[in-house]
Amino acid sequence: MALSPVVTTTTSSSAPSNQTLPNPQTLRTASSPLKNLASGSGQTSTDGTPKPALAPSSAAPPPPTSTTTNQPLAPTLDLAEQMNEEEKRKYVKGKKLGEGTYAVVFLGHLRSNPSTRVAIKKIKVQKEYTEGMAPDAVRELKHLQELQHPNIISLLSVFSSKDQNLNLVLEYLPLGDLEMLIRDTDNVRYGAADIKAWMGMLTRAVWFCHENFVLHRDIKPNNLLIAADGEVKLADFGLARSFADPHRHMTSNVITRWYRPPELLFGARYYSGAVDIWSVGTVFAELVLRAPYMPGNNELDQIKLICESIGTPTEDNWPGVTRLPEYTVPGQHPTRGRDWYEMRFGIVGTDGVDLLIRTLALNPQKRITAREMLQHRWWHSEPKPTRKDDLPRKDAGAGEDKMGGDLKRRPGVVADDDRGAKVARKLDFGQR
Amino acid sequence: MTTEDDRYRQSSQFRLWSFSPTSLRELRVKTNDLAKQQISPRFAPDAQPDFLTPAEEALLVQFFTTELIRAAQFCELPTEIRSTAAVFFRRFYITNSVMTYPPTELLKTSLFFGCKAEGYYIRLAKLAEMFPNTTSEQILAGEFLLCQGIRFAFDVRHPFRALEGAILELRRQLPEQEGRVAKAHAMARDILKFSPLLTDAYFHYTPSQIMMAALLMVDKELVDILIPAAQPGDEESQHVTSHAEMRDKIIKTIESCRDMLEKEPPTRMKEYWETPELVKSLKPLRKKLQKCRDTDRADLVALQRARREQATTKVKKPTPPSDGAVFGDAEPRDPKRRKLEAANDLFGPAL
Repeated sequence: MALSPVVTTTTSSSAPSNQTLPNPQTLRTASSPLKNLASGSGQTSTDGTPKPALAPSSAAPPPPTSTTTNQPLAPTLDLAEQMNEEEKRKYVKGKKLGEGTYAVVFLGHLRSNPSTRVAIKKIKVQKEYTEGMAPDAVRELKHLQELQHPNIISLLSVFSSKDQNLNLVLEYLPLGDLEMLIRDTDNVRYGAADIKAWMGMLTRAVWFCHENFVLHRDIKPNNLLIAADGEVKLADFGLARSFADPHRHMTSNVITRWYRPPELLFGARYYSGAVDIWSVGTVFAELVLRAPYMPGNNELDQIKLICESIGTPTEDNWPGVTRLPEYTVPGQHPTRGRDWYEMRFGIVGTDGVDLLIRTLALNPQKRITAREMLQHRWWHSEPKPTRKDDLPRKDAGAGEDKMGGDLKRRPGVVADDDRGAKVARKLDFGQR
Repeated sequence: MTTEDDRYRQSSQFRLWSFSPTSLRELRVKTNDLAKQQISPRFAPDAQPDFLTPAEEALLVQFFTTELIRAAQFCELPTEIRSTAAVFFRRFYITNSVMTYPPTELLKTSLFFGCKAEGYYIRLAKLAEMFPNTTSEQILAGEFLLCQGIRFAFDVRHPFRALEGAILELRRQLPEQEGRVAKAHAMARDILKFSPLLTDAYFHYTPSQIMMAALLMVDKELVDILIPAAQPGDEESQHVTSHAEMRDKIIKTIESCRDMLEKEPPTRMKEYWETPELVKSLKPLRKKLQKCRDTDRADLVALQRARREQATTKVKKPTPPSDGAVFGDAEPRDPKRRKLEAANDLFGPAL
């Protein structure tokens, strides 16, 4: 589960209309506590404090005035503690929605506006990790703090509770995840226009990550959460990282196996946004097939499935591939032709198949980029993507158990049920 | 406005950690006042210590930033990580006083957490070994405190990549002046590794402005090439005017940033901060700090233990009035309060 704050509505049948989604912009602004405290307006430099009276570059917007509580804060707190209290006080914690080893998730709402619901994810102190704050929590926070986009889960606030636990206030996404929709073949029907809408949202999310120089490294259906209005949001940034500078290597042990690209299976230490695009391609295929496209049992099996389904990576179709650290292939399969894809994925049309083929290019340098994906002609061809309000959703009530389970997952780790086998996701923090 | 500017305004560095000089000064004064208010009751009314002033605190933070830089160099940490650690350290001491939490400890914690935030997983024990009389526990004790102090904003935007970009552009435009560009590159990089960390540059300017300011210190004409004046007659006149106005504004900003960086050129490290005279001259200040500090919070390890204990000991619901309360005992105290004292936690439920 993705770290998802996915939260379920209790009265699941409640129409989305009564859940006002927070406007991220508004909340963001309000959650900038420093600017509230220092009411600096004058630019005169009175005392000997050095320096020019220029505000940060291009004139900063005026500090937002605190719209929330204005109760006096306990004077015994440090400034940092006061600001923390102020953040904490903006929200009211409600019932527990799920608990796991990594986090406890609570329903919550804005104190100033109880109709604005949030999910409060309290990260537990990890007993087994003795080096302080867990790296996945650090990564998740670091990147969510920076990425604000309609298709990326919003981090509304962060505060610490008195037992020194981290609390992440996340937007409330009550409709489960894409995996639930894909799997529920008995009750959920969707077609080409729906797939196009979902793929559009996923592609925009990935484009935005890459545009901000962030690799997600764990894209898969159950990390794609669904908001009350049907908007899909990319979540679980527990494996994300910034683009590395040249010569700085990265770990190849990322991305859940079924969605992992061949270069990572071959142990590449220098890679790019193309790794995420491969995952997007496998999600695309899964949306069509309604089953994982290449569900390998282990890494070797994964490579075998890629060779069979797409083609064997060779020096011909991917110059240099044989020099990757862990290059091994089980046998030679010719690269699949367009006809082969048309037979299996024809439901999304010729243009859709073309896009799929480009996302699943073996050679990462030939793989389509997120920006190029957004420029692809498929989006404009018939049928038009479904409006988000009209997208299929899970029947009320049916998904509650699933969602409760979702909440327990730690970022970047699949719940240890039957799908656990496909994860190879222990990062080796001892490398250095 | 361009989208790049918009994007920078979404960053936590801009949203949470950029201030006008006035508001930054006010924050520091406020932090200093609060620390005094908190520490003062620990002393008898007639024996109040001499507290540090905000300016003295700033000087000490500056000094310990140079210590942090030296420690990072000793540990051979890459430039970006060293800079991130220094920025964390300085951010922490905007909302926390030097008198409250010991900078000598936070310095190591900043280095450790700077590594973590940059995805560079150095072993805690290995780092502790690098410092005399330092245990892993000591480094870790301040971690949560640091994270809270920096408002959980772990992404710091540095000017180093901006410089690489500017240098590529200069190489393209001045192919025949490779030596000049290379020299400017090296010198500007040296400035960026030191001057912005010792001053408030990160709080007032964007990474690209800081980069341009460093380049301005090194070779002014290169900045003119990178930020050219509009060619008159090129475009419609109104456009040229607004370009000129904008350029004027940008140049003024960069110049004020340069003035700031020039207060702490890289040569100051050797010629000032590392000299025995400076270390000696800071002695009275450090003595003063010893006398006015918050003794309850100077030991981060003990503090951390107390907080953990406090968290694990469940706070009981208020019990029915005790005999003492009913019969008018002199000191009616609620159980919560007693618990806190038992944990030797006199400063109350902080977080």
